[in-house]
This record gives sequence, C-alpha cells and structure tokens, in this order.
Amino acid sequence: MDMLQMKNISKSFPGTKALDSVDFYLKEREILSLLGENGAGKTTLMKVLYGMLHPDTGEIYYKGEQVHLKSPLDAINKGICMVHQHFMLVPAFTVMDNIIVGNEPKSGLFVDEKKAREEVKALINRFNFNINPDTRVEKLSVGEQQRVEILKALYRKADVIILDEPTAVLTPHEVDSLFVILRKLKEEGKSIVIITHKLRETMAIADRINVLRDGKMIETDIDPKKATIHSLSEMMVGRQVALGIKRPAKNIGDVAFKVEHLKVIEDGVAKIKGIDFSIRKGEILGIAGIEGNGQTQLLESLTGLNNPESMKLTLKGKEIKGSADVFLRSGIGHIPEDRLTMGLATEMTIKDNLILGYHKSPSLQRNGILSKKKIRDYSNRCKEDFNIKTPTIDVKAKSLSGGNQQKIVIARTFSHDPEVIIAAHPTRGVDVGAMEYIHSKLLDLRDEGKAVLLISADLDEVRSLSDRILVLYEGRIVSESMPGELSEVQLGLLMTGNRIDEEVEDEIREID
Amino acid sequence: MGDWANILYVVVVSTIRMSVPMILASVGAAFSVRSGIMALGCEGMMIAGAFFAVMGSFFTGSPWMGILFGIVFGIIFSLLHGVLNIRYKVNQTLSGMSVNLLAAAVAPLILQIVWKSKGISPKVASFKKLNIGILEEIPIIGSILAEQNILFYITLILVVVGYYYMFKTPQGLRMRMVGENPVAANTVGINVVGYKYLGVMLSGAFNGLAGAYLSLAQLDMYIDGMTAGRGYIAMVISTFGKNSPVGAMLGSLFFGFFDALQTIFQGGVIPSQIVRTLPYVLTMLVVVFGLKSARNPAGMGKHHDE
Amino acid sequence: MKSGKLINNKFLKSGSGSFTTSVVAFLLAIVVGGILIELAGFSSIATYGAIFRGSLGSSRGLVLSLSQATPLLLTGLSFAIAFRVRIINTGAEGQVYIGAMAAALVGAYVNFLPGITHVAVAVLVGMIAGGLVGLFIGFLKIKFGASEVIVGIMLNEILILITAWLSTGPLMTPGSATAQTNPILETARLGRLVPRSQLTWALVLAVIIAVYLEWMIRKTTLGYEIQVIGSNLKAAKTAGINVPKIYLLTIFISGAIAGLGGAALSLGIHYRFIEGISTGFGFAGIPVAALAMYSPAGVVVSSFLFGALRAGAMTLNRTTSIPIEFVSVVQALVVVFVAAPMLIASIKKNLMRPFRGIKNKRESLKGGDA
Repeated sequence: MDMLQMKNISKSFPGTKALDSVDFYLKEREILSLLGENGAGKTTLMKVLYGMLHPDTGEIYYKGEQVHLKSPLDAINKGICMVHQHFMLVPAFTVMDNIIVGNEPKSGLFVDEKKAREEVKALINRFNFNINPDTRVEKLSVGEQQRVEILKALYRKADVIILDEPTAVLTPHEVDSLFVILRKLKEEGKSIVIITHKLRETMAIADRINVLRDGKMIETDIDPKKATIHSLSEMMVGRQVALGIKRPAKNIGDVAFKVEHLKVIEDGVAKIKGIDFSIRKGEILGIAGIEGNGQTQLLESLTGLNNPESMKLTLKGKEIKGSADVFLRSGIGHIPEDRLTMGLATEMTIKDNLILGYHKSPSLQRNGILSKKKIRDYSNRCKEDFNIKTPTIDVKAKSLSGGNQQKIVIARTFSHDPEVIIAAHPTRGVDVGAMEYIHSKLLDLRDEGKAVLLISADLDEVRSLSDRILVLYEGRIVSESMPGELSEVQLGLLMTGNRIDEEVEDEIREID
Repeated sequence: MGDWANILYVVVVSTIRMSVPMILASVGAAFSVRSGIMALGCEGMMIAGAFFAVMGSFFTGSPWMGILFGIVFGIIFSLLHGVLNIRYKVNQTLSGMSVNLLAAAVAPLILQIVWKSKGISPKVASFKKLNIGILEEIPIIGSILAEQNILFYITLILVVVGYYYMFKTPQGLRMRMVGENPVAANTVGINVVGYKYLGVMLSGAFNGLAGAYLSLAQLDMYIDGMTAGRGYIAMVISTFGKNSPVGAMLGSLFFGFFDALQTIFQGGVIPSQIVRTLPYVLTMLVVVFGLKSARNPAGMGKHHDE
Repeated sequence: MKSGKLINNKFLKSGSGSFTTSVVAFLLAIVVGGILIELAGFSSIATYGAIFRGSLGSSRGLVLSLSQATPLLLTGLSFAIAFRVRIINTGAEGQVYIGAMAAALVGAYVNFLPGITHVAVAVLVGMIAGGLVGLFIGFLKIKFGASEVIVGIMLNEILILITAWLSTGPLMTPGSATAQTNPILETARLGRLVPRSQLTWALVLAVIIAVYLEWMIRKTTLGYEIQVIGSNLKAAKTAGINVPKIYLLTIFISGAIAGLGGAALSLGIHYRFIEGISTGFGFAGIPVAALAMYSPAGVVVSSFLFGALRAGAMTLNRTTSIPIEFVSVVQALVVVFVAAPMLIASIKKNLMRPFRGIKNKRESLKGGDA
C-alpha cells in the first residue's frame, strides 16, 4: 500500500519555478532515496510534504486520504517528521528538552519531567543509543545529535521520516551506523525518505530511487540493484559528467610553503597540538577530517586571523608574521570557509566585492583614494576571465547564485597572483557546473606552479583533487598518504581516530 | 550602636524601595530576551507606564486604575517594539531606541496638552504603606515590612509565578526554545510569532508596572526624566541575572543596594551629583566586567522564516 | 535558490528604494503627527501652515531654521558616521555636554591666544573632549565586548551629572544664582553669519564636515573599509581589514563631531557652559541620521527639515497652544518609519494596489489575445 502520494505538485518562488508538476509516492516499509543535485527541488518538495511550504498546485494523499498540511504541526500530528540538514536543536537545552518540546507530557500546569524522562529513556534504550537524556546537546558529537533528531521523530510517533542530506556531516563509519538505524526503523514499519546527492550511499541503502532535476521528477521507479553510478549521475545532471576525473600533477617543484610547530590554544583548550607540513610548488595538499578537529583554527593560523601559541610559517624561504593583511599581501590567497559570512559583503556590489582585501593594492588606489576606472576595468576583466554570470558588475553580490558568488571569491584571490592558495570548502553549496569550473581552475593554478592547500568536508573532493592527503584528527596530523593509497573507508577510520589494522578491515568487509 | 542599627534599617528599607521597580523591569526584560527580542525598549515602556499611570489615577481617582493604565500603555509601547521586530524585522537596537524616543516625546506632549504644564504633573492618588497589622510586631522584619506598600508583595508573587512559568511549564519551555532557535521551534510546530509577541508584551506589562511604581508608589506624580535610564539598567540586570526572574530579582537587589547608598551619602561631604552617578558607574562596571559568564539566547533577533 | 536563475529581481529593486523610503517615512510621520494634532483638538492644516510660514515663509524664519538645524546636523552626522560601522553611538548627548564644557573652559580661562586662534583652539578642544569620550566607548567595546548602547547611555547620565556638578560647584561663576561657568572671552566667540541671530559659523563648519565625510566614505580606501565593516564584519576581518583601528577612528570622529555640537552651543549661543545646555540634541541626532539613511550628505538635508520643523513650531508656540514637544514626536515617528523599510514597502504596495489590479487585468487580456 502507498503510505503517501503527492500529485502534480508545483511551487514557484519569485523568479524561479522550484517544482514543476511533480508526482511522488512512498510505500510502507521502504527506504526511498530522493536524488538530485543542489537546487533541483528535493528539499522544496519535502518541505511541502512537511507543511513548511504550501504548493501552488497539487494534492497530497496520506494513508489514502487527501490532506492539507498548513504547518509542520499538521504534518507532525499526521505522523510525518523531518530531520533537517542543519539540525533543529537547541545546543543549550538537554537532550530531553529538545525531544519533548512542543509535545510535552503534562501534569497539571507543569511539564511532567518524570514521565518525559521515562519515555525518552525507553526510546533511547530501544535503539541502544547510549545517550544521557540530561546531557546538553552542545556536548554531543554530530552523529549523536543526529540520533537526537531521529529520537524527536520517534517520540512524535512518526510513520514517515524524511532525512535531508543525513550523511553530509558524517564520517563513513558513522554513515554505516546510520544505515543500521534506518534499516531497523524500516523493520519497525516506518517509511523513510532520504534526500541526497550522494550516489554510492543511495545505492547502498535505498529500496527505490527517485531522481529530481530542475524541479521536474525524472524517474520514480529506479531499482538500485539495476542502476549504475553513471546512469544515475546522468539523470541527475541531464548530461554526461566527467566524474572524478584525475589530472595528476606533472611538475611538482621545491617546497613553497612550510608550516612548523603550529600550536593553537582556544579558551584554554588545545585545538591544534603541534603540526608541521609543507606544500611544494605545483602540488595540491588535501586535508581530510571531520569538521571541528582543528580545521578552522588551522585556516585562521595560515591566513593570519588568529594568534597561534607557536608557529613558523615560511613562504618561499621568507618567514611571514603579523596580521591577516600582511599574510594576504605576502601572497597567501584565501578562499574562506563560508563565503556568505566570511567571503563576501553581499549588500555591496560585485565590483566592491572583487577588490575586498586587495583594495589597498597600488593597482587600485593612490594615496588612499580609490581609482574608479582601474577598479571598473579590473572587475570587468574578472567577470570575463572567471565567467561570472551577471549583466553588470554594479549589482549587489547577494543577487547572484551560490556558484557565481563563489566565483567572485575565487576571481579576486586568483587574479592577485598568489604564491599559495588556502582553499576551504571551495565548492560547498554550488551546482555541478560551477563545481567543475572551480575544480578545473584550481588544477590550472596548480599546473602553473602554485601551491594549494585544500580543506574540504567532502572526502570525495579531497580524494579526487589532492596530490597528497593529510588526515587531521583532534588537532594532530594522524596520517599522510598518496591518492589511491588508502580507501575511503580507511581514511574515514583515521578521521575518527581509529587505526587501520587488519582486524578492523575484516570487520568492515563483513559489514559491506 | 543605635545609630548603626538605624543606618542599617534605612539601607534595607531603601534598598527594597529602590529594588522593586528594577525587579519588575528586569523580569520584564528577561521575558523579552527569552523570547528572542532584545529588551532595549524597556526605558520607553517604563516612561509610558509611569506617565499613563498618573493619568489613569488622575482621571479615575484610583491608583489601581492608574496601574491598569500603566500596564496597558506599557504593553502598547511594547507592541510597537514587537511589531517592528517580528512583523517588519527591524534591527532590534533601532526599534528599541525608537520606542524609547517615542515614549520620551509623547509623555511631555500630552502633559503639556492635558495639564498645560512643563515636565511635571499634578499630584494624584497614590499607593500608601500597607497596614500589615500584627505582622508589624515581628522584630526588625516587621518594621521593614511595615514600610512597604501592596506592590511590594505583588512583585514578589510575580517573580515566583514568572519563574515557574518560564522554567516549569510547557509554555515556558516553548518560549525559551523560540528565543534559542526560532527556526527549530517552527519545525516542531511551535507558534513562534505568538510566543515572541507574548514575550515582548510581558516585558511591556512588567515595565509598565515598574513605571507605575515609580510614579504612584515612590512618588505621587510624573516628572519628565524620572525613569533616568532605569530601563537600560534593567536590561543589563536581566542579562546579569541570566535572564531568569529569580536572577533578575537578586541582581536588582544588588543594584538597589547601591542605589540606596545614595540616600546615605546624600547631604554628606560628597557632592550630590557625584553620588548620583553611582548606579550608572556600577552598571558600566557590570557591562564591562560582569557579563563574562552571562549569555543571551542564541536566537536573539533571528526569525523563523529566514 | 535555483542556479539557473541568476538574478533575483526582488533584490535588485531594494537598493534603489532608499530615497523614496525616506520621503515616504517623513510624509507618514507628518501625517501621523497631523492626526495627533487633530486628536489634541487643533487644526492640523492650520498648524502645519503656521509651521511652514514660521520656518520657510520669511528670511527670518529661514535663518531660525538654519540655526535650529545646526546642532541637529552635527549630532546627526555623529550618529550617522558611527552607524556606518554599525556602532550605535547613544553617547552623543554626553559628548555634547563634555564638548560644551571643555570649549567653554578654554574660552573662559585661556587668555593668551590671539584673535581667531582662540576660538579655533576652543573648538578643537571641545571636539577632542567629545572624541575622547567616543574613544573610551570604543575601547570598552573592543577590549571587553561591552555594549556601546548601554555604555553610551550610562556615560550620558554620568557626564551630565559631572558637568552639572562642575557648573554648580568648583567652576560656578561667583555670585551667580544659576548653575553656569564664567563667560567666555570675546575672542572665543563663534562669529555670527547673520547679525542678531543664533546662526554661526558652526553651520559652515558642519556642512564642510558633512561633505568631507560623504567623499571619504565613497572614494577612499578608509571609506571602503568602513562600508565593508558595516556590511559584513566577519568578511572585513577575513579580508585583513584592521577592524579595531577603524572602530576607534570612527567612534572618535563621531564623538568629536558631537563635541563640536556642544562647542557650538557654548561658544556660539550661550557664551558659557550652563547646566542643561543641550535639550536632547544628542538623541535628536538619531532621527536626523535615520531619515538620511546614514548618509552624511543626506544628513544636511534631513537636519534642515527637522530644523525648519522646530523653528516653525517655536513661532507656533507663541500663537497657538500646540506645544513644541510635538516636534519630538514627529522626530521619533520618523525613526519608527525609516527603521522599517518593509513597513514602508508594504504601505507603498497597498497604496498602489488599486492601480496594479487594473494593470494586471490589462496584461491578462493581452495574454489572452496572444
């Protein structure tokens, strides 16, 4: 029997048609994967199902009856729950409060804390989650936080659980345990939707695959056993994609950039515990690791944004010290972690954003007075060279898509002739086209003989671009390897602080 | 020895007297902050409360009606802050300041129009010390209680009720969730906008009452500038007291104590103007050094639909 | 957002709307003010007519408007420049007081400076005094993360009390019945632009400062950095901009301009420091700056509008009984309306709705034809 059906769903936002007559159905006891690239409309479709967005047209049938979901509360009451990509938790609350809020057991006017604790404990035990209901959520790991989100859904007696990009923040090992949980949920009779753009995982867990592209449902009945990575990716993007194409470095030169005894202490906690590494000319050094293991502090140290306990940084034999400004002017280009909060002033024009950080360079100003003409010429050149899709450089940066915004950041860094590039998550949240473009630009720059440091949460990206890979775990470098030397699973183990020895490998083979 | 006991007695009595309006105002601020709205409009709500309480008392002859007026107008001005914030997503500092500017402009205008007087209202019916009968016989405490009016007891009740509401009821939990993470609150079906309005209106009611206390219990008239920055201090106290009604009360007593010292030093060697800077200097010290461990809700100023 | 669509039209429009937002906000405040006048039992049309005649209707009124606008222009600039780096300088009132006191002291006690240098030094000292107060606020913000809003308000109260103590105590004119300092020397007086008026060279100075600030923000690297900090603090830091330095510089400028406002009061109008020398000019700067959308050049215009309103209301006060406090209400309303661009936008939309309906109908008809 179909658990639910969505018929002919359309939804427009100003200027875009996010969903175009989409049909969707979900069976009882199945794990469905909703596949599509960024901006294809996956999340929009699920937000419609969760009552967060209201469709322009279309009908929703749940357990055979037509339903009108005006708010998430409607959906929750019907038994539809969603685990969002960015967890909807309050870090300052306890696990229990996070789970019960909105559906609190009552005694008189007050919250019945005793009953609440019992119910939450019972749920935790059912899944062997090993979480204390009275711990504050801020003390939990990302994987544990996700479990709290799942508990929230179960506490609300959900029959349908939607998970938005559930594996984006997890290590390969954590992904495996998530899949175990999802299979158990299925056995208990739940229906599960996973929104994702990761093909391998989709094929590993899904009973059925749907593909959404540009707001249209392309396929609803794909059997993962019959699908291939290639066929799926073509359906997702709508054309042939060169996936994971490697362009090995040809001319790796001398050491260009050298970091010695880097230590960072933040609020009394050692975030980086003494690391050394170097990058050669014409080399991309990738740093793999789960977020929160010192990446942010490493980035800040290498770009002059913090004050490390100790660090000796040499660029082409010259030691670099001082403020972020000095680092920038010495030729250390920086693609920040998050373009919206750190990379761009989105209220300002594209032109203004293209000079950010370089506005004091002699080519753009004289005696503190900005040269209008030079800035205009330079900006138009960037627009052409980096294929920034905009009618003019005088519109605000916030009017551009994520991919084009990222191109602004890339353009201004690359066109100031850096010796080394510190690139953090350079393709996060951009569409496939922009991703391919940014990757090829990074490789071009490397082939010109620049040194590149690549930090990315996307292990695939690190593996496919890097010429050498370091694994960062709890502020230490725990492994150095050449591409292909270690498997994804092995890297994942290192990222979670495990060693790779024979025994564990065997275990993994069994799970697979 | 008698002298010292007397001084102590005066300090305690005036500490309480100075604290009551601060307790009310800072508890109000705590509700606003807990629902995610910066409590920068307290000064304006207090001015409105103080002024309209006098008007209410003037026209009805009853200080109770005055209080009602004060609370209602406190809420009206809080709604300005609320609507600007919640509906129109105005920068919280600006909307708070605009409430303060507007209240500080409206009160003298109406004062002029109604009483043809500049900056000071006629005397009106106000609250007197409460006759507590037998309780007055209790040593020390009895004589201190004898100095208080009914609003003192109401304030104590409000602190207790406020505490239980905020930390023990489902509604309180939901309000705190709205303040911490409005987007998340929305996804579990909590009425984010409703709780924000509730929080800001509670701050208006409490601050209106605080203003009414100033004009109808500490005095029996309205004087321009009588709130003298107390609304801003209340905001600081609220943060200092971890945005909990009990914390706000303790913080207010601390401030009230320093406020009370004024009365002791008044007429001494130190010039009165310098003594009067004391609460402001203290507030600055707290803002600079005292808020290290304090934290406001993570969702301050955030909206659920962004 | 979908990647296929590059430009979201909604965003393109919002940038150009700021000027009309200001105009609509001002008109709304005037209309609501008019309703208040009616509620108080007066004729709004007659009142506004009288205000207009009293301010812009005669050369005397015009001079009065300009002299009323001068302190507003300065405190408006003070608030605006700080707001460009998103520092809310609520301490302007205190800075006005300290500027007025410092300038008055130099004017009264420094007697060896010849001619124009005396007034110049007095003005400069007033500015530095205000600037230092600003710097102190900025220092506390940077070093301790203290809220400049609260610190500013507290400093206002403290400085007003301290200057009041000085003018009633140690620095009081002997034998005087009111709280005031010794009169300043003739050489320290700010010259008048129009005889027997309160219009002084302070206005010229203020306009020059406004023009300079506008140019600085638009054309220089310093101004660029100010804009980036105001737009996205974290991006500014990431780009290597020395944020603390710019903060301190900006809040110093802000305080100094407010201090100049104080100096203009004591050197140009009262010729000494008196208790209560500023009647809330520091706070009046907020509506002035807000109406100008925090543009220094815009502040010149908005301060004139408010100055005219005050001037008109002053003449009004003598003839009818709508009190001058009414102007403060209109000012506060301007802040409310300007602060809420979305409110203005929805009002504009609702006003336009009847016309839009017709347009849509026509378009749908056209669509049918095609």
